[in-house]
Amino acid sequence: MASTPFSPAGLAPAIDGITPPDYFAPTDPKGIAEILAGAAEARKAVTPVGGATSLALGNVPERVDLAVSLRHISGIISYEPTDLTLSVWAGTTFGEVTHLLAPRGQSLPLDVPFPEQATIGGLIATGLAGPRRSGSPTFRDLLIGISAAHPSGTVTKAGGMVVKNVTGFDLMRVYLGSLGTLGVIVSANFKVLPFGRAEATVQGSYAELSLAVAAAERVRESRVRPVALEVSKTDSGWSLATRIEGRELTVKLLTDEIQTLLETHSEIIGSEESKSWWQQFTEAEAATTNDSDVVIRASARPRLGHELVASLARFVDEQAGIAEHLTWSPGLGSTTARISFKDSSAAQRFRKFRDQCMPVADNVTVLAAPSEWKSGIDVWGSTPATIDVMRALKEQFDPNRVLNPGRFAGGI
Amino acid sequence: MDQSTLIERLTQIVGPAGVFHRPSDLIVYEYDGSVDGAVETARPAAVTLPTTTEQVSAIVKLARQAGLPVVARGAGTGLSGGAVAQQGGIIIALTRMDKVLDIDPIDRTALVEPGVINLELSEATLPFGFFFAPDPSSQRACTIGGNVAENSGGPHCLKYGVTTNHILGLEVVLPDGRVAWVGGHAHGNAGYDLTAAMVGSEGLLGVVTKALVRLTPNPEATTVMLGAFATVEEASTAVTRIIGAGIIPAALEMMDALTIKAVEPQYHAGYPMDAGAALLVEIDGITEDVRSTEEEIERICRECGATMVRIATTKAERDLLWKGRKMALAAMGRLSPNYYLHDTVVPRTKLPATLARVGEISTEFRLDIANVFHAGDGNLHPLILFDRHKAGDVERVLGSSKEILNYCVEVGGALSGEHGIGTEKRDYITMVFTADDLAAMAGVKNAFDPTSYFNPDKFFPKGYMCGEVRALRAQAMAQKHGIYAF
Repeated sequence: MASTPFSPAGLAPAIDGITPPDYFAPTDPKGIAEILAGAAEARKAVTPVGGATSLALGNVPERVDLAVSLRHISGIISYEPTDLTLSVWAGTTFGEVTHLLAPRGQSLPLDVPFPEQATIGGLIATGLAGPRRSGSPTFRDLLIGISAAHPSGTVTKAGGMVVKNVTGFDLMRVYLGSLGTLGVIVSANFKVLPFGRAEATVQGSYAELSLAVAAAERVRESRVRPVALEVSKTDSGWSLATRIEGRELTVKLLTDEIQTLLETHSEIIGSEESKSWWQQFTEAEAATTNDSDVVIRASARPRLGHELVASLARFVDEQAGIAEHLTWSPGLGSTTARISFKDSSAAQRFRKFRDQCMPVADNVTVLAAPSEWKSGIDVWGSTPATIDVMRALKEQFDPNRVLNPGRFAGGI
Repeated sequence: MDQSTLIERLTQIVGPAGVFHRPSDLIVYEYDGSVDGAVETARPAAVTLPTTTEQVSAIVKLARQAGLPVVARGAGTGLSGGAVAQQGGIIIALTRMDKVLDIDPIDRTALVEPGVINLELSEATLPFGFFFAPDPSSQRACTIGGNVAENSGGPHCLKYGVTTNHILGLEVVLPDGRVAWVGGHAHGNAGYDLTAAMVGSEGLLGVVTKALVRLTPNPEATTVMLGAFATVEEASTAVTRIIGAGIIPAALEMMDALTIKAVEPQYHAGYPMDAGAALLVEIDGITEDVRSTEEEIERICRECGATMVRIATTKAERDLLWKGRKMALAAMGRLSPNYYLHDTVVPRTKLPATLARVGEISTEFRLDIANVFHAGDGNLHPLILFDRHKAGDVERVLGSSKEILNYCVEVGGALSGEHGIGTEKRDYITMVFTADDLAAMAGVKNAFDPTSYFNPDKFFPKGYMCGEVRALRAQAMAQKHGIYAF
């Protein structure tokens, strides 16, 4: 094989408690494709690994025979600040990208937990978005090109290095969030953006959820265009956090306007603090778990979102869970929560909680949970109506089910 | 199934007023918006005009039974042959499914039928304070269904993104006639992003019967600025400086001298007749922000040699400045009996070199070429002027068009920024994609439509998709068709 196995010290990370017997770190995309082709022939199951920050995402795999690391396929392919384009190898960390773009006043304005570890390939494969998705582009909007290695032994590309392009099918977004089940992403191209010259967050506190909901509605209806807006449970009630970016003077002006709209006690979190405040927020809802906590995202029509968050808060109490993070994104309708369930009946109470959530939401995704708690459920929630088309798609790209078998929606 | 049985069965589904089958009625459906001669035309066996999803589903099932291809069609304004029934068969024209079913100002979405006209959607949502951001130049005529099929752009996609960024979900009739939703209101749908696969798939995967679209709040303030420059290079430097300053305007459009000469005498938009380039910049957002940005852009333009900068803040003034840009195609009639509207895209900073090459090609092929383009995102629209009745003109147009494509691909660009591949560019697809790349895309096609009922002979090189092609195992097929490229 054209790739070097790790030294014994470089043990592969466990995927839901399964430690892959073999672990490879190829040095080029072709090496990945060869491993996949070999695995297809030998009917082995492969799990691609980036920064290993979100391995808790997905169903418990049917099998893991080997893991491939992207750590040696990293670095910047090209960066053209005045074209607003960037091309990177999939093993590049998000932090490296941020450090490259910052001196030119640009960024990929995305919420990424653990940016110094998380890789571009892993972020695309998991396809999760944080609070900024309510008012700022997501991976889905910024991805303009991609290449991936497949079990057929080929490396294919789609899209390109231009910000506007209708040449060919949109495989970028098909791979996005597909958890490596169609191919292993080896490089990606992005449209980058200038970052806001200043930013601030205004946080108001409320005794009742309904008051926070009403305030969020006032902010949404005002001229303010927040990049993030979150109604979150606090120790003493609820809070509304509004994040804005723009020219310094505008940010100052809008901060005052938001404070008026909140109609409650509020505090302003200034530029640098605001960044780290949201980074912490993002990491609270990362797809990670210890032995006792779960991260879920429940979604509903935006206009029904406040009912969903209220129900979830009640269910947490009923099942004696502790909501370490429980937040609703007005305008998006999704509620994200990190809940800890402790003691011997924890797994059952988590199952009960999930069963309670399912009927009140359009869908409930378990982003992370202890492996034993996940077995027997589809963490992706309701099976989509077009599952047959999705299975057909999987069959086209990976007929031998080499890539992450069982981990994706509907057991794909 | 013979023709008369087919017509009878179609009539049972959509009624006599919903079926066209006489040659005189079919002629108009042989074309799309492309110039005659540049894109192949073809006559369908019948054109149907359904009014419900159920009817679309029944037509698809019937077509399958009859072994006929199905081609979905909106207003027919497309420019790459996407709505032409290349192998005959049944055209499903969705223009009578033209209702805005719901506008929800809280969810900020609209649920629309595919035949709703793009501009009419924004007009319908205006009282609620919203607009539908994709605004292709044909927006007075083109439909949302067509926008979805082609992933349409428009001048404002620089800031707001193209159609795919504004589609949340689609009701689709699949090749077996089944009706299914992909995507939806909630952001947590499980599985692959089939909505994204559908958008821009040029009618190869399914027929869209409803679209749930994202609405964008109207900006508080909008300003349009016109900068006149002696040369395209100076104007391009200004564009680079504007973007370098961290400003993303809502639109950034440029016109060259030939375009200005066609437009100004007719529409009096105020473009100086002696300018080498006119740069149109639209900025929007919070009032205070827009005012400061205005000053910054004006300063940059002057530093880059602008001979004139005009700022329009009222709607009437803004509309006048835009009029010249929007009517540029119509004005070409002053210069030439016909024009071929090209659509290619290059990395933005390659624009000046690309325009210089277009100038050389114009000389080589003895054809005047006017240029209007989306300067912010590198999307060029060379307008190749010709006379259809002059022997050899069409051939020279196609020759020059291919030369332009060659150059664009060479500098890292793509074949189309917003018009699509269709039949127009399908045989050029190997300029950018390898046999393996195409096999992966064929995999998507096969997953939806393994027997190729929907819009055959589009996007893939001629003959490529005949019969079932197993994706990523298509090398043998590719060899057979001589696709090596690369």
